[in-house]
Amino acid sequence: MPSYGHTLRFGVEVRAPAAAPGVVVEAAVLAEQLGADLVLLPEGEDEGGLDAWSLATWTAGRTTTAHVGATRLDPLARPASTLARAAASLQLLSGERALLSLAAGEDPRRLVAAEETVAVLRAMQDTSQPRAPLRGTHQHLDGAEPGPALDREVPVWLHGSHEKAAALAGRVADGWMVDLAELSDERDQAQELARLTAALDSAATGAGRDPREVRRAAVLRADDPLDTDGLVALAVDHGISVLVLPVDGAAGLTARDRYLLERIAPTVRERVEDALPPGTLTDRPVRRADVRARRRPGIAYDEVPESLAGATVEPGDSAFARVRSTYLRGGDPGLVLRPGTVGEVVEAVGFARSHRHLPLGIRSGGHGISGRSTNDGGLVIDVGRLDDITVLDEAARLVRIGPGARWRDVATALQPHGWALSSGDYGGVGVGGLATAGGIGFLGRAHGLTIDHVRAVEMVLADGSLVRASATEHPELFWAVRGAGANFGIAVAFEFQVDQVGDVGWAQLAFQVDDAAAYLQAFGRVVAATPRRTTPFLILSRGVAHVMAMVDSSDPDEIVADLQPFAEIAPLVQQQVVVAPYAAVMNMFPESPHAGRGEPVSRSVLVREITPAFAAASADLIASGAAHWYQIRSVGGAVADVPADATAFAHRDAGFSLTVMGADAGRVDRWFDRVRAHAQGLYLSFESDPDPARVVEAFPPATLERLRRLKAELDPDNLFRDNFPIVHHGTRSAS
Amino acid sequence: MSTDYGHDLLFGTFVTPTNHPAHQAVEQAVVADEAGLDLVTFQDHPYVAKFHDTWTLMAYAAARTSRVRLAANVHNLPLRPPAVLARAAASLDLLSGGRVELGLGAGGFWDGVGAMGGPRRTPGESIEALDEAIQIIRGIWDTESRGGVSVRGRHYDVHGARRGPAPAHPIGIWVGAYKPRILRLVGRAADGWLPSLAYLQGGVSDLTEMNRRIDDAAEAAGRRPTDVRRLLNIGGRFAAQRGGFLQGPPAQWAEELAEVALTYGTSGFVLASDDTTTTQTFAAEVAPAVRELVAAARAS
Repeated sequence: MPSYGHTLRFGVEVRAPAAAPGVVVEAAVLAEQLGADLVLLPEGEDEGGLDAWSLATWTAGRTTTAHVGATRLDPLARPASTLARAAASLQLLSGERALLSLAAGEDPRRLVAAEETVAVLRAMQDTSQPRAPLRGTHQHLDGAEPGPALDREVPVWLHGSHEKAAALAGRVADGWMVDLAELSDERDQAQELARLTAALDSAATGAGRDPREVRRAAVLRADDPLDTDGLVALAVDHGISVLVLPVDGAAGLTARDRYLLERIAPTVRERVEDALPPGTLTDRPVRRADVRARRRPGIAYDEVPESLAGATVEPGDSAFARVRSTYLRGGDPGLVLRPGTVGEVVEAVGFARSHRHLPLGIRSGGHGISGRSTNDGGLVIDVGRLDDITVLDEAARLVRIGPGARWRDVATALQPHGWALSSGDYGGVGVGGLATAGGIGFLGRAHGLTIDHVRAVEMVLADGSLVRASATEHPELFWAVRGAGANFGIAVAFEFQVDQVGDVGWAQLAFQVDDAAAYLQAFGRVVAATPRRTTPFLILSRGVAHVMAMVDSSDPDEIVADLQPFAEIAPLVQQQVVVAPYAAVMNMFPESPHAGRGEPVSRSVLVREITPAFAAASADLIASGAAHWYQIRSVGGAVADVPADATAFAHRDAGFSLTVMGADAGRVDRWFDRVRAHAQGLYLSFESDPDPARVVEAFPPATLERLRRLKAELDPDNLFRDNFPIVHHGTRSAS
Repeated sequence: MSTDYGHDLLFGTFVTPTNHPAHQAVEQAVVADEAGLDLVTFQDHPYVAKFHDTWTLMAYAAARTSRVRLAANVHNLPLRPPAVLARAAASLDLLSGGRVELGLGAGGFWDGVGAMGGPRRTPGESIEALDEAIQIIRGIWDTESRGGVSVRGRHYDVHGARRGPAPAHPIGIWVGAYKPRILRLVGRAADGWLPSLAYLQGGVSDLTEMNRRIDDAAEAAGRRPTDVRRLLNIGGRFAAQRGGFLQGPPAQWAEELAEVALTYGTSGFVLASDDTTTTQTFAAEVAPAVRELVAAARAS
């Protein structure tokens, strides 16, 4: 049997006597420096050898690139459930370099225990399945909480130089390890290996698996003459893809060991590649049959471009639990592409173009409401890895920021310069979504919207071309991106001119509210009279109002002067006012994994002022209990300095932005329609209603017409349509 | 009344072994190491998916630190086979240059243990198992004796297990314990006692009676009460204003902890802290002050 497509790797297995722990670790570290892809630490058969797991973990702490594995672990010695947690921890701590290999010795008990251990390890890594009990002879699970969810599962290998171990590996494992020294004799090695490999392959096939799912590793004989031909033959004739050099830990790396890693390994690698048809060897992950079984229809999984394949997440992958849903929306996408470079974004868009029949979510931070950055059975392009933050010009305060950066990271990076960039009200939100829609934040009245700071944007369009848009390059796109960017492409970098912002006043006030309508009107009046350096947000619920306000000043007198009028609106039940950096406010809430469920119901309106009629309709809505979230953000000030036709966000005269969320769309709308009657527009980021009628509320007629013209030119097939689409009917946009 | 077992004082932290972010707990161990604390400890709850495997975390943190000692606070025995634990502890002690101690508990949260496939034990059984485990662990570490380790217990049946490796230094077995029967086991067989103040219903004054049980059991077993170090897990908050116990400025903490050390013979204070500033303040402003107060009192 020829190659299984796995690229060739070299490793060392360092036997670890207790007498020389320092030498063992030194040998492992040196092997990594000399190019070893794997450093393996076996469970000691020797009297008093070091514990393999402790040694592997310690070694992981002292190395940076090599995969680190504990091997020959006795599956009878420890609970598999605890081993699963240990493996996950090693994976997380080492940066996905963990590997474990179980001893599947000829003792039938050990063979059974190895199989049961693999089953437990798989179950513990699968956070998507209900907790089914596993009751084996040696290993059990009885409702243990699986997890933690890993980005990449820890590969589980079986070790055993006999047919039963090979066959078991074929049925259940990710790899098989054979000791060449244990095969009958050197002359018959080829025959012996062929027999074991055939057993493995037929067991794999019999279990409905692809034999390529199992990597084959051979531990060389300690006295192997290291002839290049022999090593090439192992790879080419037997499909061995990991060549493991046994190292005596008491002696450290010998001259022979170094010679193999430094000189022979590159030659063998080269010769193996030459011996096989071009393109045979690939780092493309081979997914297990049970993982492939969870694929969704209509997706060409095996055609995902090679550059994207490594970071791509499918429904059966352990990373899926962490990427399927967003902050507010539950999802079950068929494929999540995670490009790490602009070139990969281009490839991802190309892949999406060939899947026009499926929903396509574009995700930066995963906080979108209008933006469907997850879906059911469709594609997601997640640009979270494009998160660089670079200062381009200190004097001009020009900063280049990737769409995947979070606003808390942006604030933290800008703070040492004495700068800030107005963003939303939550540090976990991603840059890409906000900076293409608007960005109504706590520095809004003082410094404008987030989009008002964009000086250039680089974007991958539907046809895969990369364009740079600014006041002078593609100015029409530059205009459109600032307010309706999601309709035109995927932003891969922004250049922002940020503001000089010192410490700010930050207030959190809570009020007792007996008359919501009266409170709202008073709040509106006070905001209108407040200097633009202060931007208050209000969250109103039955009986209680919370005001959060930022004052762009560190002068206590100015802060108190601006806040005092708010304190007089209603009885104050709680107050906290501090002077702090903007970054401290953005870092107030730690990031937690996204686990949204269902579909958010969110409604938005923009109003110039809080009129008695708007306040009355709002009060009725709050009293109805149909909404669990009623938030008003004050706008105006610097936001209104920008002409309405300067950006696609045209509602520059709005004084307030209202967002309402509830559980039931019908119930929310019954009350919200009365509020909406008083609106002068809406802010698309907070609107989840797909009704085309909302589009004309987000964009005045002239703006919308201009946007649709550009859409017809740049995305005629409407590839980008899952975040507040400006074109609804049919698949092609009307021109 | 005052008790003092004469041990030098240890100060450490009790860090949540969260696995999200993955390196947070390791970073807190590094903070403790750099701040000059003696000890960093982690709880061990293998059934909790959001926690790291405590042994793996300790081994990784040990590789990333240079002076601080590490221990679980405390290991969940039913999910940690004693022979494996003994060899792991000895190995890490060898790798780290003698920086490992062994915190052990009889177990608890039996639903969690059972879900992980571990044995459900009654309180009595769990103490019995702990007793057997300590014998096995000491046997594995004892490479001087001849023959294999044999402990034919009700919970563990080890028959002729090979010995070794021997740790780099005499690893202390520190047991978390509260009730009379397990306190007797501590006096008879352990090197340290590691209760949490939060679980003492009567506060620190409960220590008197519990110490007496340990002392009596030690003496009955032909040991000295000083063979068992008395540690204490504590929690508190630094504040400018003086408040309740460990709620105030570092100087207040120092007075209170010195008082506990001199009254109850407590010689290890392990502060629950996941916060860099708290750990640094404890190390820089509390530990030296307590040491000074205790030294002065011992000298007088």
